[in-house]
Amino acid sequence: MAAISTVCIAPVALVLAAWSWRAGAKGLALDALAALPLVVPPTAVGFVLLEILSRRSVIGAFLERIGVEVLFTPKAVVLACAVMSFPLMFTAFRVAIETTDRRYFDVARTLGASPFRAFVRVTLPLAWRGLLSGVLLAFCRALGEFGATILIAGNIPGRTQTMALAIYDRVQNGNDHEAAVLVALVVGIAWVLVSISSILIMKQRRRLDA
Amino acid sequence: MIEIDIRLPLAHFMLEVRCALSANVTAIVGPSGAGKTSLIESIAGLRRAHGRIAIDNAVLVDTGQGIDLPPERRSIGYVPQDAALFPHLSVRDNIRFGGADSDRFDSLVAALELAAILSRTPASLSGGERQRVALARALMTRPRLLLLDEPLASIDQPLRERILLYLRRVRDLGIPMIYVTHQPFEALALSSWCVVLRNGAIAAAGPSRSVLADPDVAGSVDNVFEVSHPMHDRELGITRATTTDGLTLVLPYDQVAEARFPIVVRIRADDIVVFGEKPASISSRNIFEGTVSSLRASEGIADLIVTTPAPLTVRITRAAAHDLSLRVGSRVWLALRSRAFRIVG
Repeated sequence: MAAISTVCIAPVALVLAAWSWRAGAKGLALDALAALPLVVPPTAVGFVLLEILSRRSVIGAFLERIGVEVLFTPKAVVLACAVMSFPLMFTAFRVAIETTDRRYFDVARTLGASPFRAFVRVTLPLAWRGLLSGVLLAFCRALGEFGATILIAGNIPGRTQTMALAIYDRVQNGNDHEAAVLVALVVGIAWVLVSISSILIMKQRRRLDA
Repeated sequence: MIEIDIRLPLAHFMLEVRCALSANVTAIVGPSGAGKTSLIESIAGLRRAHGRIAIDNAVLVDTGQGIDLPPERRSIGYVPQDAALFPHLSVRDNIRFGGADSDRFDSLVAALELAAILSRTPASLSGGERQRVALARALMTRPRLLLLDEPLASIDQPLRERILLYLRRVRDLGIPMIYVTHQPFEALALSSWCVVLRNGAIAAAGPSRSVLADPDVAGSVDNVFEVSHPMHDRELGITRATTTDGLTLVLPYDQVAEARFPIVVRIRADDIVVFGEKPASISSRNIFEGTVSSLRASEGIADLIVTTPAPLTVRITRAAAHDLSLRVGSRVWLALRSRAFRIVG
């Protein structure tokens, strides 16, 4: 689920980060909006999603008419993970693109490249390490998603249960041993991925300084 | 003909430039922070200035009419100060970024002598090599104007003379060039026209030689010569070479022996000694007879222009000017020590 949500939001985060970078000051509003889920309580985000997807709302009613059920299904887990990890990915992408030195993009344009071509052929290859690091961070965040997920996806073992929810369950049921194994697993995965992500960022810095 | 009439607000002042440039090579001269780079970035389309920019009737910017072509549609080659080669591409791919024409690629690689470094990455190149690659990359696009930001700033001797040589080759291709420099002698080395920029405004503009001969404009004054046809005499340690004005200069052999002529040399105005009569025996190898055509005295110093007939700028103390009773029309002899010549490139 965490993987699916990460894959789904990556293109969106890239396009928005690129747009925000090009827009400069105008992009600041988007930057702030995208960072919101990072700072408000996850349950607040879950509540907003719940309202949007409920039958009473326009979107919820529409989804019901076309027969798409989201709430309390695995789709809801993906959605909650996506919304909650988006800010981390967006911010990482934004920084990765920002550190590529805009002059390379500018020079590419004086050489006849359109903004799109200059971005794809110059900015992206220079930023790829930072971008990949953002993907890994977002994936880690999605693995640990709890608050928003429990509100819109419930806690159905085997169906809508994330690692965070599974740990919560085990602890509630007094099954500390299983909980410890899960915790060790999550910490291990996160530690490896965050380390890789830091190495990538360091390499990108070093390359651009050279 | 390049017409520029723009305004651009910068951090500390308004860049306001209005000029028409028809010279093959124009230098924009001024101290750091005068707005030089902002000016050429506006021409390249990397900054959005208010006003009008046109090249040979092709309008690039006319904000009054809502025209503001993006950089990719301006056909202007731009070589930034540090070359800004794409770090993830090889030299070959950097050059090809400008265009796919393989005939043009081959001829530029030959003219700028890049064949040996085509497979290298930008990080492994020297400053001079980077400049040449950036130059080739910009020329691949067949620009109608070439902009160069401090092309010699980060390059040491003897590479400077190589870069100047390549820039002269580019000049001879007939592509108009505008280049930015904070060193007046670099402007004299290549340009026929110059615009002096100070705090965002044009302080002076005109033929480089006359504009930059004014110490108020140029700070210290250098005499700059493009010399060719060298005749080396290793035994005596001298090289005779001819300036474009027809003057024969005697240069130190050891400093120019390896150079590929033509080269540009300079001598400071205060490194020239003035005699009231013909010096009989003297160690200076360059003695020129001339007439004082202008004399300007300011606090403690006198700046002369002596027509030999090529004009030389000389700076002496007022005491010396007084003792020699110099005035416009006075006949003088000038002595230029060979070893006081510096090679610009």
